[in-house]
Amino acid sequence: MHRREALRNVAFLLGGAISATTMGVLFESFTLPENEKNFVSFSLEDEKILAEFADIIVPTTKSSAGAKAAGLGKFIPMMMKDCYPATMQTSFANGFKELQAKSMADFKKNYLALTTAEKTKLMVDLRAMAIAQKASKSEDNKDLVYFFTTARDLTLLGYYSSEIGCTKAREYVLIPGRYDGSAPLKPGQKSWATG
Amino acid sequence: MNLNTNLKAENTYDAIVIGSGISGGWAAKELTEKGLKVLMLERGMNIEHITGYETAMKNPWDFKHAGKLTEEQKRTHPVQKRDYPYSEANEKWWVNDLECPYTEDKRFDWYRGFHVGGKSLMWGRQSYRLSDHNFEDNAKDGHGNDWPVRYAELSPWYDYAERFAGISGSKENWSTCPDGEFLPPMDLNIVEKSVKARIEEHYKRERIMMIGRVANLTVPHKGRGNCQYRNLCSRGCPFGAYFSTQSSTLPAAMATKRLTVRPYSIVNHIIYDKDTKKAKGVMVIDAETNKTMEFYAKIVFVNGSTLGSTFILLNSTSDAHPNGLGNSSGQLGHNLMDHHFRCGASGEAEGFDDKYTYGRRANGIYVPRYQNVGNDKRDYLRGFGYQGGASRVNWQDDVAELSFGSGLKEKMTKPGKWSMGLGGFGEMLPYYENKVYIDKTKKDKWGQPVLAIDCEYKENEKKMRVDMMNDAAEMLEKAGMKNIRTYDNGCFPGMAIHEMGTARMGNDPKTSVLNKWNQMHEVSNVFVTDGACMPSIACQNPSLTFMALTARAADYAVKELKKNNI
Repeated sequence: MHRREALRNVAFLLGGAISATTMGVLFESFTLPENEKNFVSFSLEDEKILAEFADIIVPTTKSSAGAKAAGLGKFIPMMMKDCYPATMQTSFANGFKELQAKSMADFKKNYLALTTAEKTKLMVDLRAMAIAQKASKSEDNKDLVYFFTTARDLTLLGYYSSEIGCTKAREYVLIPGRYDGSAPLKPGQKSWATG
Repeated sequence: MNLNTNLKAENTYDAIVIGSGISGGWAAKELTEKGLKVLMLERGMNIEHITGYETAMKNPWDFKHAGKLTEEQKRTHPVQKRDYPYSEANEKWWVNDLECPYTEDKRFDWYRGFHVGGKSLMWGRQSYRLSDHNFEDNAKDGHGNDWPVRYAELSPWYDYAERFAGISGSKENWSTCPDGEFLPPMDLNIVEKSVKARIEEHYKRERIMMIGRVANLTVPHKGRGNCQYRNLCSRGCPFGAYFSTQSSTLPAAMATKRLTVRPYSIVNHIIYDKDTKKAKGVMVIDAETNKTMEFYAKIVFVNGSTLGSTFILLNSTSDAHPNGLGNSSGQLGHNLMDHHFRCGASGEAEGFDDKYTYGRRANGIYVPRYQNVGNDKRDYLRGFGYQGGASRVNWQDDVAELSFGSGLKEKMTKPGKWSMGLGGFGEMLPYYENKVYIDKTKKDKWGQPVLAIDCEYKENEKKMRVDMMNDAAEMLEKAGMKNIRTYDNGCFPGMAIHEMGTARMGNDPKTSVLNKWNQMHEVSNVFVTDGACMPSIACQNPSLTFMALTARAADYAVKELKKNNI
């Protein structure tokens, strides 16, 4: 039976932070037609941009390094190519281009040249856009919003299953060897990496 | 026909066991230990204990896709991907649906694993006895046929199965879920202890909650290590801490030196000898070479999983058995059942913020059936049990907020709220019209026809689901939980992976396929001891019952063989 709890546990462990769309794609969902595989590709430059983007979502803090150090620049495009249907790959790729266009429009700089404050400001806009779109159900900025929510989901998924995420940000024990269902919670104790 | 007599001698055994999962492993163990030379046929690959569990010691970051499926895996596993069991960490256990298609007259999720050990490697390990309530329900309410067995007859075989398999659990003296021969129970956590106490107090112990009875060892047992609380059972256990063919029955059978295991051996049909009116052996397709071959034996145990076994029987036609082997009752393929689940309730526990858990317990709680027992009367027949548990989950309140940055990271690395869930597992009645049959319009990779499945839940199950939600919410409320939510995520037959029936036992050969010893009424040297034999399914997880029935049937078969009655 606890097989049956597994999916729910994964969702819990990632926090309800993951969107329903990503849950759908990664846990059940869609099948890509044979002729539509690897619909999009990402360059090394793209990976650098995605790493910087992810690092705004999960930055380096006192306890642990952030998403860039955890390898999210490669993880995000790899997951997009291997695990997402063509229509979503296309939407993601379009949104990614729009991100770079927005960077030029807002700051007259390409994304990699932005300061942390500028990247954060840009993401504040994307977040507002996503929340507004959800409320209005309009099609405005559809691809850009899809890019933001999916990149964010994959950042959280990738980071909290990475070695840094599991062992530095959270706490991980490969072989607990025993179960204590009434362990005292120590001050500052981190949450477990796996459930 | 050019019969190579040497080959015939080489291919002849005392017994053939078709399938190597939970019941096949038990059949091989029991028959070899009683002195028979046994051939165990497995249609899939071999999996060695420990070394075959390549992902068992992997860390989360050792998986390329963070545990998720690729589009290619979804393409080749269109059925297996429908629910969570098939994942990156255990993908090799699950069948390629494109190679092994079947026909769904109605949606039926058929989860299959073709390899030595079968589903004993992936099972949920919850192990409960059926009770006399269950053995008598068919006779009492007229659904299905009467069980030819009662609890008193099966009880010593449950003892026997539990002692060998190693089932941890607590004794509860509960009439619908009899106690057994248990290893020490796993611990309830602090929230579960509180919920248990409050439920049992409120309902005056007319409802109880206990730790799950689970085939995970809490202490070393028969050379196997105890559970390490990793909760990674579905990858195979390198400590041998849960019961599987590999950890338990296969080593016992191999120790006799009388067992031969042949992987990649798809049994196409059982060969019937019209002169002796018995099975002569089986015809096998080698899954790697596509060559066919025959093996011969005095007795055949059919343990190919519920629908795998019934497919073989339906496909074993002859002049004497035109509708499938031993099917003059017309019941073969009928009365397919599965548990219905995916509904219940969950809530949050307050007041335990200073407590957390250490270790990952591969087990939860169990609330055994209390409906339609004693004074409890419902507007449907039979009943359900609950599985679930409490855990302190990670922080998770952000779906709509879409936050990011150090604040989000900080929150995501702190323990969140305690939550407690109860999910019902309900009995499904046997319905003659829920059936499987052979569809000759499709072929599998090896040129065999395929199974068609026509099965659905009906009114009794639908009514029960309302109570499965509402009773759970009520109990959580009485236990002091907050923010209680009920859910019904919908369910299709097959999803519980507890498919049973289609070759039922019974006393009357006119209305059943097997007798009380799991022996075919019409073909005395063929025994079916997997889930196909079940005349009803109760609401408990079934594998322990397959173990007990198999050991009992093997004992009977060998005694009859020695008396020359077979």
